[in-house]
Amino acid sequence: MKKTGIVFSFNTHKTSKIAKRISEAFEDTAKVEMVNVEEIRPEQFLGYENLICGTATWFDGELPNHWDEFVPDLEDMDLKGKNIAIFGLGDQKGYPENFLDGMGILAELFEALGARLVGFTSTEGYAYESSGAERGGQFCGLGIDYETQGSKNKERVNAWVEKLKLEFR
Amino acid sequence: MKKNRKYHIKTTGKKTLEKWFRLMTMGRILDDRAPNYLKQAIGWSYHAPFAGHDGIQLAIGQIFDREKDHLFPYYRDMLTAISAGLTAEEIIYNGISKDLDVAGGGRHMSNHFAKPEWNVHNVSSCTGNHTLHAVGVARAIKKYKTPGIAISSQGESSVSEGYVYEAINGASNEKLPVLFVFQDNGYGISVPKKDQTARRKVADNFTGFRNLKIMHCNGKDVFDSMNTMAEAREHIEEHEEPVIVQANCVRIHSHSNSDAHDLYRDDFELNYVKEYDPLAKFRRLLLRYERFTEEELDAIEEKMKEMVRKAHKAGMAAPDPSPESIHDFVIPEPYIPDKYTDGTHNYDAESKKLIQGLNETLKAEFRHNPDIYIWGQDVAHKEKGGIFNVTKGMQQEFGKERVFNAPIAEDFIMGTANGMSRFNDKIRIVVEGAEFADYFWPAMEAFVETTHDYWRSRGQFSPNITIRLASGGYIGGGLYHSQNIEGSITTFPGVRVVYPSFADDAAGLLRTCIRSRGLNFFMEPKALYNSPKAATPIPDDFEVPFGKARIRREGEDLTIITYGNTTHMCLEAALKISGEDGSGVEVIDLRSLIPLDKETILASVKKTGKVLVVHEDKVFSGFGAELAAQITDKAFEYLDGPVKRVGSTFTPVGFNRILEGAILPDTDKILKAARDLLEY
Ligand SMILES: Cc1cc2nc3c(=O)[nH]c(=O)nc-3n(C[C@H](O)[C@H](O)[C@H](O)COP(=O)(O)O)c2cc1C
Ligand SMILES: Cc1ncc(C[n+]2csc(CCOP(=O)(O)OP(=O)(O)O)c2C)c(N)n1
Repeated sequence: MKKTGIVFSFNTHKTSKIAKRISEAFEDTAKVEMVNVEEIRPEQFLGYENLICGTATWFDGELPNHWDEFVPDLEDMDLKGKNIAIFGLGDQKGYPENFLDGMGILAELFEALGARLVGFTSTEGYAYESSGAERGGQFCGLGIDYETQGSKNKERVNAWVEKLKLEFR
Repeated sequence: MKKNRKYHIKTTGKKTLEKWFRLMTMGRILDDRAPNYLKQAIGWSYHAPFAGHDGIQLAIGQIFDREKDHLFPYYRDMLTAISAGLTAEEIIYNGISKDLDVAGGGRHMSNHFAKPEWNVHNVSSCTGNHTLHAVGVARAIKKYKTPGIAISSQGESSVSEGYVYEAINGASNEKLPVLFVFQDNGYGISVPKKDQTARRKVADNFTGFRNLKIMHCNGKDVFDSMNTMAEAREHIEEHEEPVIVQANCVRIHSHSNSDAHDLYRDDFELNYVKEYDPLAKFRRLLLRYERFTEEELDAIEEKMKEMVRKAHKAGMAAPDPSPESIHDFVIPEPYIPDKYTDGTHNYDAESKKLIQGLNETLKAEFRHNPDIYIWGQDVAHKEKGGIFNVTKGMQQEFGKERVFNAPIAEDFIMGTANGMSRFNDKIRIVVEGAEFADYFWPAMEAFVETTHDYWRSRGQFSPNITIRLASGGYIGGGLYHSQNIEGSITTFPGVRVVYPSFADDAAGLLRTCIRSRGLNFFMEPKALYNSPKAATPIPDDFEVPFGKARIRREGEDLTIITYGNTTHMCLEAALKISGEDGSGVEVIDLRSLIPLDKETILASVKKTGKVLVVHEDKVFSGFGAELAAQITDKAFEYLDGPVKRVGSTFTPVGFNRILEGAILPDTDKILKAARDLLEY
């Protein structure tokens, strides 16, 4: 597996914790680097063939600022040949109408730029009304709900990383 | 941010970006400084900070075109107003309520920014009621086929108000060019939005409405807000239908300076709303994408601070409004008849019924002036013309553009009348405010609002509206088809109130109402519509001036002051008394309650020394209480007895005819009171 970048905001609370957990799950099998999306430069992002991007959803379906402010740079990138996995944080009880929408926004963007999305997961075990992250019955990444299903984080992360090990090239 | 949209951090011109940054920076400086004025006891006691709404407010002001649009900002819209063109001075004059305040010279509450001259309308504090005004003015935009749109702005919580639903229903039904903006900061003062409605995004409550597009944007992001508002405008212009834009915002500060948000928001929340400061985000973007250098932005910020400092000085030096000015602009000067100067005539011809007088006058005025409109429930469907047929034949003659039905939504009927008359000062609107006066109560907020628009804007906007209402009882109509509501209506400055009792006066007063600027309340005694008692000859061009009572019978011994249905009973009683013992009873038909003909009343009281006030409405707190008090005040030494009153009991009007008879005044009750007083 090629060098993998985990991109997320270092200023977040819960997203950071999950990023850490993910990197730990890779243990010795991979070279995993943590990158702060708040300071990232386009060349840095393009330097990875395998990317894990983490975002929460804020304000009823919005991408947090740290990602949103990087989007104008992303839009000019050619992401063909990149393998991108996304993990999203959301609260299915508090925001059932927009559960994990942020993950969906990133997925749409990366796909439009030519990236190959990996790490889709089943929506089973979640209860919400609608989600921008849902694609044909699956989430377009890993859904983490710290607020209402925090006890499942470990198991979900571990299973996801095992899957990524197979899907990343 | 999407690359294919009109505005983008990488492609938008530097001049434009600079303009936005200047406006946002100046707005923020003013927003941050406003509380100081209160702390120093200078003013601005109501300030609802906009910080956190910056993206959408910039966008509202930027897409507003003062040459053709109408903008209805709300109390949190300081940046909207600045972005629409108001200067720092104008903001401060309003904030500290100076005479130079362009909204209305310090008459309206602070933080209610307006500039009527540019159609940045002076709106109420009644949250969201200007949605009806936006719909009304959009109706005019459509009817007169002029370019432009109406933009209404409010918070998400006030969408709970019933009139907002009425407004959006009307805009969707009539396909009107209205852009409704909901600035969603998650709270209505301290109430979280989950307590308002089941959906987190209230705009989506309207998904079932036809001819309506719903859009969402990030109101904290300048580009998303600008793009969404520009697209919304294009949609309205292309598809000729309304749009709702819900903009996600944060409220960085308390609701206003009388709120303390740390009572209901925890540190986590207080912190993240600050982190999402839209101005800080815009600044970061300008730097990150190298559109501006730090030094350039610092220089702009310095300049804006200087501008605000100057404006502050101007504000502190500006004159206050004078206490003597309070009586200016309560209501505009009415139309003054030049032929029938006292509202009487000697025309001799066949008598016409009161209903015919109204119908013919309406038609004559509609022929005379192409800018008159009428709407209401049931006013126009084939042969039906009004619940009592007062508007019969009008739609056939004047068409559906000028004579049309309204939904069963009295607040909408009244509120859109207010809005439509904002289009220009030529327009005259007649509404059947409700099918019965009893059903006017749902319209009361729009009515109250309309009574003070002229005063509040210091004469910059006159709602030129006549509200017609079928009033009163004696038809066995029970609690909801018998009410007289003038006792309530006459407590509001800013409206003329008339209540004729004969066909000629009805025709003459209606003509004067329609020709006048300002708000008129025209009460029609529905029991007399077809009554031979009220039928009179009516000159074709008859006019009755406001504030001229008519002495219907002269006498020396007792004055009866009355109006509406009871005029006829008083005349019967007077006739009977004179037949019995020759006592002379003078009967004054007021015709107009506001303005009131005090001279005629006082002259009569001085002559007779005894006064009986009679009206159909309740004695307790009825309009007669005001009459009695004024007479006692002005003519005490001429009185030979107490001012007595006859009217309804302090009960609702019962449906059973026996109950109705016991409650409403009649000739016998008047006779008894008159005899008692004569003998006093
Ligand atoms: C104001 C606010 C709005 C939110 N909106 C959403 C939402 O629309 N959809 C969702 O799935 N989660 C939403 N959430 C939940 C967050 O995504 C969740 O709390 C997440 O764990 C935050 O991660 P972070 O601390 O790393 O930012 C929201 C949380 C807050 C505080
Ligand atoms: C008809 C009416 N009811 C109550 C109030 C008192 N009030 C003033 S502002 C406000 C909250 C409005 O919240 P929202 O519409 O969300 O706007 P925001 O202030 O949050 O921007 C209330 C209840 C009012 N002004 N008018």
